[in-house]
Amino acid sequence: MLSKTIITLTVIAFLATAGVAMAGSARDYISIVGSSTVYPFATVVAEQFGKTTSFKTPKIESTGSGGGLKLFCAGVGVEHPDITNASRRIKKSEYDKCMANGVDGVIEVKIGYDGIVMANAKKTAPMKLTRKDIFLALAKDVPDPNGGEKLIPNPYKTWKDVNPALPANKIEVLGPPPTSGTRDAFVELAMEAGAKKFSWIKAMKKKDKKMYKAICHTVREDGAYVEAGENDNLIVQKLNANPKALGIFGFSFLDQNSDTIQGSLVDGVPPTFDAIADGSYPVSRPLFFYVKKAHVDVIPGMKAYLAEFTAEKAWGPDGYLADKGMIPMPDAERRKFATDVKGMQSLMLK
Amino acid sequence: MDAPLEHTDDSRIAKASTVASETVKDQSSGRILYSRDSRETVGETFVDNPRMSCRNVDVYYDDKHAIKNVSLDIGRNQVIAMIGPSGCGKSTILRCLNRMNDTIDICRVSGEILLDGVNIYDRHIDVVPLRARVGMVFQKPNPFPKSIYDNVAYGPRIHGLAQNKAEMDELVETSLRKAGLWEEVKDRLDQPGTGLSGGQQQRLCIARTIAVSPEVILMDEPCSALDPIATSIIEDLIDELKQQFSIAIVTHSMQQASRVSQRTAYFHLGDLIEVGETAQIFTNPRHQLTQDYITGRFG
Amino acid sequence: MNNRRPPSTGTRSSRKAIDIVNAGLARRYRAEKRFRFYGMAAIAASLVFLSILFISIFGKGYPAFQQTYIQLDIFFDPDILARDALTTADYPGLVKQSLRRMFPDVEGRRDKRMLYKIASTGAAYQIRNLVLDDPDVIGKTIGIWVPADDDIDMFFKGHIPRDVPESERRIKDRQIAWIDHLIKEQRIEKHFNRILLTAGDSREPELAGIWGAVMGSFYTLLVTLLLSFPIGIAAAVYLEEFAPKNKWTDLIEVNINNLAAVPSIVFGLLGLAVFLNFFGLPRSAPLVGGLVLTLMTLPTIIIASRASLQSVPPSIREAALGIGASQMQMVAHHVLPLAMPGILTGTIIGMARALGESAPLLMIGMVAFIVDIPGGFTDPSTVLPVQIFLWADSPERAFVERTSAATMVLLAFLIVMNAAAVYLRKRFERRW
Ligand SMILES: Nc1ncnc2c1ncn2[C@@H]1O[C@H](COP(=O)(O)OP(=O)(O)OP(=O)(O)O)[C@@H](O)[C@H]1O
Ligand SMILES: [Mg+2]
Repeated sequence: MLSKTIITLTVIAFLATAGVAMAGSARDYISIVGSSTVYPFATVVAEQFGKTTSFKTPKIESTGSGGGLKLFCAGVGVEHPDITNASRRIKKSEYDKCMANGVDGVIEVKIGYDGIVMANAKKTAPMKLTRKDIFLALAKDVPDPNGGEKLIPNPYKTWKDVNPALPANKIEVLGPPPTSGTRDAFVELAMEAGAKKFSWIKAMKKKDKKMYKAICHTVREDGAYVEAGENDNLIVQKLNANPKALGIFGFSFLDQNSDTIQGSLVDGVPPTFDAIADGSYPVSRPLFFYVKKAHVDVIPGMKAYLAEFTAEKAWGPDGYLADKGMIPMPDAERRKFATDVKGMQSLMLK
Repeated sequence: MDAPLEHTDDSRIAKASTVASETVKDQSSGRILYSRDSRETVGETFVDNPRMSCRNVDVYYDDKHAIKNVSLDIGRNQVIAMIGPSGCGKSTILRCLNRMNDTIDICRVSGEILLDGVNIYDRHIDVVPLRARVGMVFQKPNPFPKSIYDNVAYGPRIHGLAQNKAEMDELVETSLRKAGLWEEVKDRLDQPGTGLSGGQQQRLCIARTIAVSPEVILMDEPCSALDPIATSIIEDLIDELKQQFSIAIVTHSMQQASRVSQRTAYFHLGDLIEVGETAQIFTNPRHQLTQDYITGRFG
Repeated sequence: MNNRRPPSTGTRSSRKAIDIVNAGLARRYRAEKRFRFYGMAAIAASLVFLSILFISIFGKGYPAFQQTYIQLDIFFDPDILARDALTTADYPGLVKQSLRRMFPDVEGRRDKRMLYKIASTGAAYQIRNLVLDDPDVIGKTIGIWVPADDDIDMFFKGHIPRDVPESERRIKDRQIAWIDHLIKEQRIEKHFNRILLTAGDSREPELAGIWGAVMGSFYTLLVTLLLSFPIGIAAAVYLEEFAPKNKWTDLIEVNINNLAAVPSIVFGLLGLAVFLNFFGLPRSAPLVGGLVLTLMTLPTIIIASRASLQSVPPSIREAALGIGASQMQMVAHHVLPLAMPGILTGTIIGMARALGESAPLLMIGMVAFIVDIPGGFTDPSTVLPVQIFLWADSPERAFVERTSAATMVLLAFLIVMNAAAVYLRKRFERRW
């Protein structure tokens, strides 16, 4: 009796599996993947879109920029995503992969900027850093302070060691792990730029690119830099518990927690909305999304979603994305990308 | 013994029968004919028209040789008692008779065991009907954790022996009556069988076995957990059952063996030492080992 | 023991056995006492940690079950609500209009924008649904409680201090003045947060709910249960009762035990390769999630079921076989029912683990922002632990308490499932 029930159940379960597997061939919602930095912005647009139109709310996965582009470039068809978000530009290699897999019409849409901030708790004074300070404080190997063109393991224990103008606090920085896009952007925009202040390192870029990358992008592992996980909220909480520490995260988290934490000045510029928008704050990066042209007329609502995202009420200076912490592009840039989207202009990478 | 032996013209059997005739001759003197070192079976291994017969059966548990070349017949409508010291292989040979040993992975059986002339170890024999024909009552009472009624009805139900509820009720009642349990449980048939006393449980197990009307019943020390009253109920039952069934019973009680059985087989360390009429075994054993055992000198 | 007083024939003969027993008694009791103490200490420590966990989650999470609401006098303006285009009318406009009427002295674009932000964007949807349900309200003015924006909610609950400089708060001085005005007029109140329990995900904390994730978990676990329970039992029964004991079954056993210890993300990778890439099943679907979690829970269920089958006394098997039950009948009628409590417990523990699992679902696209509540096995959906993860990672401060609230809901489900395990155990347990 029992065995029969079990067998019947199994059969039903298999049939059900097979049955729905057949049904899964059409898709009536937009599928979006990509960067976790763009995720909080794209989701707001998607929600708005879902509530104000008759289309279903798009599904947005947070896969990271690289993971998103990989999925995106895997091919054309309902099983592949329609749009991928990225916190950096598509690479030539990824573009080629797209082409090879038949994804030949890709529309690039820049949506705005994100600032990466180094912040500490309000209980201590704000830091005034330069990118060179950041490089010296966080790189694994730094130029020998006694001169000469050679590297030594990072000897600096306190900020004062790095730069006498800074307080004598221990160097302790909480930041994202290497898997994170924020970390990629940070090492590139802050550390590499700081390393370039040393002319011999800068010169190395031409001679030995690999070595150059290793010097600029390798973060010290002796405990001064603490990998605090992908969760930026956690870093914010830890800063409040440990006022001497600095944290690295996206601007929107600073924006949401401005009552307890403050951003450090970088090269004399505070990480404010306006400073990031006008480009004077150096550690900021553009955000993008990429659209699969072949899907625009297949998946319902694609055009409407693009229109929603590129509308002034969304990405404009007074739009709801700005409320969420995204830094809008200047007017001219917005106009350019809005027309590109309307004209379905394909990206060409040579 | 390599090749399975034929029924009739076999040297060993011939020898056994000579032994038997010698025994008859020497019975008057009461002299023991076989010394402790002898391991050949003494006595009347065979009966006419047997229900079951073992031919040169060897049983191994891995490398342990638990039954050594045993040949033995179980007659129709009679009780055979198997006696012997602990660990001599009584349970083992009994479990061979309805292939319960199949459930033990390390157990290997060779030789022939015939039920009405058919080898039950033959490849095409199905154990399910075999066990319906050769029922078993175990050393420890093991009722199912179900109601008393269901315990008895289970066998008939899976074999489809009752056409309807009334027939089943009837069958349950007669089985319980035969086992001498009916009066005690007739008002609580829906209560769990495990809630009965040890002796009642054993009788329930007997009722369960006879409910499927087997041709042979194997009983492994059925009374080891029972008081004298329950024991005598079961002994009476065995006496009655032998009208219809053939019964093999393992027991440690010499009195019980002599009370209920017609034939007795004495085992010793895997060998069948002596087999014969119960009366003769207990009054006039032919083998020194049998003599030692029944006089309590050892075992 | 023996080292200290080696037993010698001398002592044994000169002292009676009972004296030796008595001499050792005190030490034996001391050992027992010590052991009890260690045991109690261990239990106490785990209870302390558990209560710390619970207190911190409850302490953070309970405010999320309340949400600040504002009462707006909405005038259902017939000019805006043209009868033929009710679905697309300017409902946000209605909300703004009523806010302007409440605070007539607010001037300037910036200030007005700030004022409009007091009410959640959800207010417009709420009013829209009201009008669509009952178009007769057009032309009337009705007081309606709408959810406040998450910043207002945080402020009203006291999570944003008043005494820090204005530039460092998300709530500006003007907004505080408006809120104080609303408080005076009793137009701002905390209500039970029904949205949290009935809505799908949202990027606006005040509109975000866990119902979508609950349904996703439900469908996913249903698939898992329907597949892993029968397959797990069948596999366990086959291995335990029917399979010959040889090298192959040993190998299978070792592998199953290993699988139970494999990090769950590996099952996600497997699911990605097999179910998505090879069979082409849809991404983010509870069906695929269920399949992946089935792979993950199967070893647990098989191991628990086998242990439970093994513990069925052999005498019951012999009893059944002895009457002529076939192997299958023996298993189905006697062994399985007796093993069922253990199997059910194993299954529920496996399911509870599956309920709390998010890592393998990452690979198959169930870590996603999904607003619409899934209605079937192939609709995109997420599950409860993923929802918790996504909220924990959101910048908005109001999500902090919602994260804890969602954790509380997950814990509640786990407690219910474990209670069910205990109940089923009791229910099916039979003595033999
Ligand atoms: N399952 C088994 N695995 C290995 N050896 C076994 C097994 N069952 C029995 N034996 C061995 O086989 C021999 C015979 O055992 P058996 O149970 O037949 O003895 P017995 O005569 O019934 O003894 P008792 O009177 O104590 O019940 C013993 O030496 C025992 O150790
Ligand atoms: Mg025995």
